Amino acid sequence: MKLLTEGKSKLALLGSVAVILIVFPLLVAGKPFTINICILAGISIILGMTFSMLFSAGLISLGCAAFYAIGAYASALLTMKLGLNFWLALPLAIIITGAVALAIGSMLVRNPGFSFVVLTLLFALVVAEVVGQLGFFGGWGGIIDIPRPDPIGPIEFSSNISYYYLLLFLLALVVTVFYALYTSRVGRAWRAIKLSASLAQTLGINAYRYRLLAFVVASSAAGLAGSFYAHYYQTVIPSTFSGWVSIYIQLYAVLGGLEFYILGPAVGAVIMTFAPEFLRVIKEFEPLIMGALLLAIILFFPGGILGTLQKLPRFSLASISARMKRIAKGVFTRDNLTK
Amino acid sequence: MFKYNVYGSCEVNAQLALQLVVNGLSAGMLYLLVVFGIDLILRSTKILNFAHGQFYMIGAYMCFLTYGVLHMNYFLSLVIACLAVATLGALSYLGIFNFVQKRFAGVGSVSFRLLVSATSSVGLMMILQQGIILLFGTTTHGLPSAFPQTITWDGVQLRAERLVVILLGVMFCFGLYWLLFRTRMGKAARSVSFDAEASSLQGINASVVYLLSFIIGCALAGFAGAVIAPIFVVTPVMGHSIIFLALMVLVAGGIGSYKGAILGAVLVGLFTSFGYQFLGGVSHMLLFVSVMLLLIFRPGGILGEALD
Amino acid sequence: MALLEIRSLGKYFGGLAAVRDLDLDVFNLEILGLIGPNGAGKTTLFNLVTGFHSPSSGTVIFKGEDITSLRPDQIARKGIGRTFQASTLFMQRTVFDNVFFGSHKHYRQPEWKALLHTPAVRKEESAIKQRVMEILEFMGLASLKDKLAGNLPHGYQRALGLCIALATEPELLLLDEPVTGMNPTETSALLELIRKIRDRGITIVVVEHNMGVVMSLCDRLAVLNYGQKIAEGAPEEVKENKQVIEAYLGKGSSR
Repeated sequence: MKLLTEGKSKLALLGSVAVILIVFPLLVAGKPFTINICILAGISIILGMTFSMLFSAGLISLGCAAFYAIGAYASALLTMKLGLNFWLALPLAIIITGAVALAIGSMLVRNPGFSFVVLTLLFALVVAEVVGQLGFFGGWGGIIDIPRPDPIGPIEFSSNISYYYLLLFLLALVVTVFYALYTSRVGRAWRAIKLSASLAQTLGINAYRYRLLAFVVASSAAGLAGSFYAHYYQTVIPSTFSGWVSIYIQLYAVLGGLEFYILGPAVGAVIMTFAPEFLRVIKEFEPLIMGALLLAIILFFPGGILGTLQKLPRFSLASISARMKRIAKGVFTRDNLTK
Repeated sequence: MFKYNVYGSCEVNAQLALQLVVNGLSAGMLYLLVVFGIDLILRSTKILNFAHGQFYMIGAYMCFLTYGVLHMNYFLSLVIACLAVATLGALSYLGIFNFVQKRFAGVGSVSFRLLVSATSSVGLMMILQQGIILLFGTTTHGLPSAFPQTITWDGVQLRAERLVVILLGVMFCFGLYWLLFRTRMGKAARSVSFDAEASSLQGINASVVYLLSFIIGCALAGFAGAVIAPIFVVTPVMGHSIIFLALMVLVAGGIGSYKGAILGAVLVGLFTSFGYQFLGGVSHMLLFVSVMLLLIFRPGGILGEALD
Repeated sequence: MALLEIRSLGKYFGGLAAVRDLDLDVFNLEILGLIGPNGAGKTTLFNLVTGFHSPSSGTVIFKGEDITSLRPDQIARKGIGRTFQASTLFMQRTVFDNVFFGSHKHYRQPEWKALLHTPAVRKEESAIKQRVMEILEFMGLASLKDKLAGNLPHGYQRALGLCIALATEPELLLLDEPVTGMNPTETSALLELIRKIRDRGITIVVVEHNMGVVMSLCDRLAVLNYGQKIAEGAPEEVKENKQVIEAYLGKGSSR
């Protein structure tokens, strides 16, 4: 995994980003709508990272939405039908998602290549159909009135802000786990498999096993996002998890930079979540501009935004962190975010 | 897609069966047109065109405009719809995909390029989708049937319009076979899809072939949309799910094989027709699951080798 | 007992026999040359031994153990390494990373601990990194360690392929056309290295077309034609073998 910088300056950059993220909601406390968008972006980041993890092992999956759905529905049902509280339902939902991923993945991962792409897409369609058809999952109307998480100590989940910090924590968790994987021998094995599965195998790397590992870990993260989503929106409907969602997830990684397994989807998800908000004023033309924006990014930023930026010499560490601080202050206090 | 208002009936009699077969075959023919379009584009230019459903939808809207609003002759409106979509396809290719392909030629792996072009097609999809909504609004439009007659055969009532679709589909298959296997252009297209570099050494201009393949592929989708417009309804969402069905038919039948696509389309058409009659909405789910299982145990689909 | 025993090995693709009824022994610490006209089945044989193809018939026995039906990564872990005909490298990674990836099977710490990046894991990784540098120095690539594999000139790429195979510390090394495309200087340098590799205790099987190389490097030769072994023995004997000459030059050319 490549970050934009190396060494101790990396930590400094990370630290300043962390500070911004933590302090940010207090700056816009009066505008819950903004927080909502940030939460959406956060969920999208996790989902994008799901795609990237699979991509890092050489798998292109259009089925991330399926596990997003499984996590959401599992969590919703656990709390509503079994009366469990969220804090128990969340890890259980992750485990359930992981189990399904293991079962499905063990079959799908045998044939990487175009069939895998389509099979994952099919699986996403299947899941969306199943939860829509069967009454047990609430049918096409979905499940409503999903309970909020129980308060932990003095922290209640009655407003956006608590959810924001919860998501931030979950995001940090996911990023940490993913980063640990990417920098370990597992990540190296993935990259080897991605670049040349045959060569990797002659080195003693069991391609199937590592791909399956990527599949299960990534899908579990999607399940985590799903569970959070269910208890934030308090409603899950099948149309949220349609086939197109998977396709958008892949977009985040492509836009941000396919070779940046953590920051790439973050950048892409942020763009795809915030840009429509900026364009809200011209609602009728928003998809047109989004489409054009997508095309522009692909054409002018081959290798994604981060990929192209990395090649420009003026993006050294010092100027980047300084610039980031400036941008952060500017963007998040601008008025048009509050409409 | 054909949705029926009657379902759950379990009577099997010859008349019902025949009707279901006709419905299934006509649905299959439509899927076939769309699938061939996407397959042609995929194999020739290696672009996975997620905007394909939108070209289908635009064909339907063109038909609505010419046949429904302007009351032109139906066949004329079919032609106009095809031309309109073909033009749009040409513009899309020249304006977008041409640049994307040139930009990324030789960069990264095949799957990377596929992903990039697929992503750009999503951008195109957004533009086309919203474009139609802006131009035509979000209301559903119904069109008078182009062939409202009912043919009675052996005591069974069959709708002529469905039969026409089947006829068109069969004609199309033969036409495509002739085009791809008997004409120079078709052979050129097939050789380019196989090996672009070698083909250019033989004097075949790959860019022209790509452009033509894209145009024809889109035209096929538009044609399918125009054909179905009077049979079903014209809505802005009709393009959304057809792409998934098309991909499913494509891989179920087998990617490397044209016969497989035909077989896949016909089977899926019949499955949806019979399935909906006897099982209702669940049949849709069953279809996806069956195709999934098929692909797991036979990655090449029914007749093909997997495209890796 | 030979290090590698191949018995009645056969591989059919459709109706075509790529390898047919092949018996071959590879003895410990020898350098065996595998020669034959193009399409004789040499690379297929490598693929069969290393698990990339499963044989239609026959067995492969390595150090007394039947490895015929094992996966490539399992066979690699048993101690067989190989290089590929085309430069199969991790092109977008540095030279160092290529060999580092190659050291994968040497991790002893359990994987879950690897995720936690415990001190023991980090110690192991730096030990492995040291080994990587040793291999690079042995092969003369140390100065190029930060260059991208894809940017190396052809000769160095072949050498890197060899480094990667060495990183797995094989007992048996299968080299598929190691000097193809190299100039005479590079070739003799590589041959020296191959001899040194054998001196370090690694048995080597080489597929090569360059007769000069084969004659000077190999202790024994085995000749394949149309998937069958037509001769075997010391290089001088094989050179004079009528069938071998016919295979290469066509019938009627033998003196």
